[in-house]
Amino acid sequence: MAVDPAPLGPHLRLRLFASLREAAGWGERHWPLAAAEAPTPRQLWQALALPGELLTIRVAINQQFASLDTPLQAGDELAFLPPISGG
Amino acid sequence: MSSPSCRRSVVAEVSQALAASAGDRAPLLRIDLCAQPLLPWQQLQRWQLLLLDRGLIAPAESQFIGRVRPLAGDGSPLTRLELEHYPGMTERQLQSLAHAAAVRHGALAVLVQHRVGHLAPGEAIVLVAVAADRRGPAQRCCQELLEALKHDAPFWKREWRQDGSSDWLAGNTPL
Repeated sequence: MAVDPAPLGPHLRLRLFASLREAAGWGERHWPLAAAEAPTPRQLWQALALPGELLTIRVAINQQFASLDTPLQAGDELAFLPPISGG
Repeated sequence: MSSPSCRRSVVAEVSQALAASAGDRAPLLRIDLCAQPLLPWQQLQRWQLLLLDRGLIAPAESQFIGRVRPLAGDGSPLTRLELEHYPGMTERQLQSLAHAAAVRHGALAVLVQHRVGHLAPGEAIVLVAVAADRRGPAQRCCQELLEALKHDAPFWKREWRQDGSSDWLAGNTPL
């Protein structure tokens, strides 16, 4: 799956995994940010029109679990994680 | 000491350096993700040698080995199991969960080996071992860490069936 080139200006890196990646049709992309813009994962989920229920999804910001309502900053990596099944 | 099939995370190295500088009481953590078949008995033997090398004598030890089931969730024969992870975050989470469990139970050392990639039925997915001063902490820490990594380390399982169809699992099997 090709990754879009990173924009020159402020942006976020977005990641999807497993079933969510396949349902959305992409695994990684960049999201340009306007100056002083600090969207939350919940707002981005809606803006991206991702498939499925947000209730079942956990988010990670910079590879750490985070709240859906954490304001994001330029340079952050945001991942939407479908239900985990390890071990 | 590291197996060629298992990749040791940089996070683990850093943590061990910190643990070593913190004194003898810091738990010894050994965390690896393995892209090739995981052979639990070989890994346990290496771990024993590591403990000996570090002068750790653990009177109690608990181990858990998880293997791929022969049947998919719908009861049909499973041809293979795919395990996806989040490179970087998965290693960091395993390290964090292992450290927290070891400290909470006063364990001396913890080993976690976890597969990624494609596995055949019967292959080992995960090996958790805990060395402690007594059987209670060893067994409790092992069980708690296993549950923690099943729920809080980013892994995703996909079951592949004989007809070429597959499903991502949306959760864990009951305890």
